[in-house]
Amino acid sequence: MTAARRGLGFGFWLSISWLIVISLAAIFAPWLPLKDPGENYIVAGARPPYGPSSTHWLGTDQDARDVFARTIFGARTSLVIGFGAISFGIILGGTLGVLSGYFRGWTDRIASIVMLILLSFPGLILAILITALLDRGLATIAITLGILGVAPVGRLARASTLVFAERDFVTAARAIGSSNRRIIVRELLPNVVIPMAALSLLGMAIAIVAEGGLAFLGLSVDEGVTWGKLILLGAGTRDLERAPWISFGPISMLFLTVLALNYAGDRLRDYFDVKDITL
Amino acid sequence: MLSYVAQRLMLAVCLLLAVSALTFSGMNLLGDPLVNILGPIAADTENPKSIALIEAAEAEYHLDKSLPERYVRWLGDLVRGDLGVQFSSTGEPPVSNIIKERAPRTAVLLVMAQSLAVLISIPWALLAASRARRPADRISTVTSFLLIALPNFALAVILKYLLAIKLGWFPITYTANDPFLSRIYQTFLPALTIALPAAAVYQRLLRTDLITTLQEDFILMARAKGVSKWKVLLRHALRPSFFSFITVFGINTGALIGGSLVVETIFRIPGLGTTIVEAIIRDDFPVVLAVVMIATSVFVLVNVLVDILYSFLDPRVKR
Amino acid sequence: MSQTQASLRGGPEPLVSVRGLRTLFATERGLVRAVDGVDLNIHKGRSLGIVGESGCGKTVLSRSIMGLLPSTAHREGSVRYEGHELVGKSVGSMRRFWGQEMSMVFQNPMVSLNPVMRIGEQIAEPLRIHLGMSRSDARDTALQLLEEVRIPEPKRRLRQYAHELSGGMRQRVVIAIALSCGPAILFADEPTTALDVTVQSQILDLIAERRQDRNMAVVLVTHDLGVVAGHTDEIAVMYAGKIVERAPTNELFANVKMPYTRSLLRSIPRLDDDPHTRLHAISGRPPDLIDPPSGCRFAPRCAYAREKCHVEAPPLQSTENPDHVYACWYPVGSAEFVEREEELVATGVHVRGRQ
Repeated sequence: MTAARRGLGFGFWLSISWLIVISLAAIFAPWLPLKDPGENYIVAGARPPYGPSSTHWLGTDQDARDVFARTIFGARTSLVIGFGAISFGIILGGTLGVLSGYFRGWTDRIASIVMLILLSFPGLILAILITALLDRGLATIAITLGILGVAPVGRLARASTLVFAERDFVTAARAIGSSNRRIIVRELLPNVVIPMAALSLLGMAIAIVAEGGLAFLGLSVDEGVTWGKLILLGAGTRDLERAPWISFGPISMLFLTVLALNYAGDRLRDYFDVKDITL
Repeated sequence: MLSYVAQRLMLAVCLLLAVSALTFSGMNLLGDPLVNILGPIAADTENPKSIALIEAAEAEYHLDKSLPERYVRWLGDLVRGDLGVQFSSTGEPPVSNIIKERAPRTAVLLVMAQSLAVLISIPWALLAASRARRPADRISTVTSFLLIALPNFALAVILKYLLAIKLGWFPITYTANDPFLSRIYQTFLPALTIALPAAAVYQRLLRTDLITTLQEDFILMARAKGVSKWKVLLRHALRPSFFSFITVFGINTGALIGGSLVVETIFRIPGLGTTIVEAIIRDDFPVVLAVVMIATSVFVLVNVLVDILYSFLDPRVKR
Repeated sequence: MSQTQASLRGGPEPLVSVRGLRTLFATERGLVRAVDGVDLNIHKGRSLGIVGESGCGKTVLSRSIMGLLPSTAHREGSVRYEGHELVGKSVGSMRRFWGQEMSMVFQNPMVSLNPVMRIGEQIAEPLRIHLGMSRSDARDTALQLLEEVRIPEPKRRLRQYAHELSGGMRQRVVIAIALSCGPAILFADEPTTALDVTVQSQILDLIAERRQDRNMAVVLVTHDLGVVAGHTDEIAVMYAGKIVERAPTNELFANVKMPYTRSLLRSIPRLDDDPHTRLHAISGRPPDLIDPPSGCRFAPRCAYAREKCHVEAPPLQSTENPDHVYACWYPVGSAEFVEREEELVATGVHVRGRQ
């Protein structure tokens, strides 16, 4: 047997720990002893940006704002978007997939067509189109990114449901007269949940990265700071030459978080040996 | 019954119709189409010049007719190559011209990126599979994992910093008027930025499939025939392991298209990516619509071609 | 010299002589002793059968002689072929033997052929590697080979893929590939197990025919005594990594000595048995090859075992026929054996006269 069976591993728990830490930091950011993300800590006689020091752990940006504080506050928006997106994707995509896999027939055909059409759009293009037509509020962005996930999630949910719906315990439940709703909720969902958990971690990583991409194009949320926007602010050639920390601070935070999400999702997937997860 | 190829092509056409209908409806139903087309001018009903523009837009876009009729007309125009007039506040050249000028640059970027990704991933996967589970392979696994986790804009920033600024190997920006070869050289770094994570995805998949294939009996049989290790890898193991790779290649093109949007912005290449971004900021919807249609069509076509190619490459698939 | 050595010495100079061959696999749980001290001769033009249950090490043995082992395997002992010592040779130097001097036919033809390569290409490959043939020469030879293994419409088959052929035809192709460079030895590892019964005998006959034509040595590895009965000159019975009995085929069937072999023979259902005769099975399972029991390895499952069997491992000794050796303290026909047999018949465990 492979390593998969020997527990989730140190790396998994390390990743989960990081995610918990960063989430807590994001939630409690206003109350943590951080510098004010909006304030300009100009030192008389020296022009910003200032390099990393004991007062500013990740330095400051061109307007003398503390990079570390802004990165932590940026986590709030980025994580919320990531979480919101994957929640939407799972709720909508998961429902579509489970219903489609359980009832088959026309439900399945229509749902599959919808998913196929959704999948025909290159991801970022669809996101740009929707946000262009609507607005760029936090909810819209989160839901738009969630829509990107509906098809892959739906596909996975459908596949898992198909597999489990054939199994004996479902037939047994039907034989004693359980209603469809009962079967879905009590027999199928618990089994579908595990692959979905792995998928949600991976999906969240993708949503956060996608938001970063949108921010880089100047198309992310109008209000608030996200990691993508922070990275963009420091990505100009001159800034990179003189003050790389402006970008690299948020880049590291983003990278570590996405890495943790990817690793944890991968480990879950390997551990439960689910083969159908492709995003 | 139609042949497999014909089936796939028909599916592609249907998808494109659906996509275009969806996009068109979205643009015309979400909010006032006039605003979508003209932007702030639409509200400006005092200014005679604006009124003239408004009336011209109404005529051009047949806004008095019903939605399905407008769609059909638009589709007709589209097929004939007329992507509409771009009605920005300044009355710029027709959309087609812009597309014609900028699309090739994005095309070059994408082709280069995918080619690089394939060229990097295949030898990488072969090496990793031949040294499976040994140190070299483990390092390779970690590397590809890191590359996949890193967002492409972050990678772009890092590569730009390392290779262009610190080491000076590549130019920092793209100059549209430079000679052809020089422009290709300038496109290399942006293409590499997109190619590396894609290569990591491809090689991870190919490596797994190669390792599985190498357990098969026919590989042992090939060794028993006296075939050398590298010949076994290249001639016997690679071909049957290719299939997931090909499928992912098609699907990943979508991600690459998205990636090229971002990379064009960072490296300031005036291609379709920058076009659509500028168009959105200007609320220039004909352009947005045109770019969305082109990008989606390319994506759908690539996937259809991949499907067809797959059926040719795997002798077990019935055609 | 020992009796084993004497028995091995008899007859013309062997093509391959195996002495004290051990093959060990490094696994997570420990060192698996898949082949644990085997002595064998393979003679030119003659057919040797290696028989045993699943897991006894017979497949590993054939691959060990050929040298086709994974990197986790470690060989000890000696395998001499035409003056060359094969144990210790690197994979690179073994390659010139594989396909050219010795070939192997594998068990499942469904998976022994590359699914995405044309048949013709797969046959031509060893020809081009070892004999340096041109593409067209190789193709012509491939055609001849297909005719030799009696595949109908050979020209069409050359351009086909494995999935377009039936199981029996695929195995013929595999045999054709194995024969292509005219090897001196053909190893056939369960060549018929995956095939229909009707096809099985065709394939075995084909192998026998080719052996005669080419004066090739054949090593037939199988768990099925029925397969070796009609198609071998000599049989070696393996158990838990060791050879426990070896004899010319007729002699083995007529004069079996080791109780294990006898049980194997008895477990073949016979057409002339009464209806509803209970199938004879050997109870228990083969021992763990990481930590084999001391003494005779079959003792835990042997109905005739006595104390000595559990303590001291019996050496290979010969009968009146020097070519027939066996490893047993109380072989069939010995006093102790007969005594125990009476007890077993009396208690109804064994049926008298069933041989």
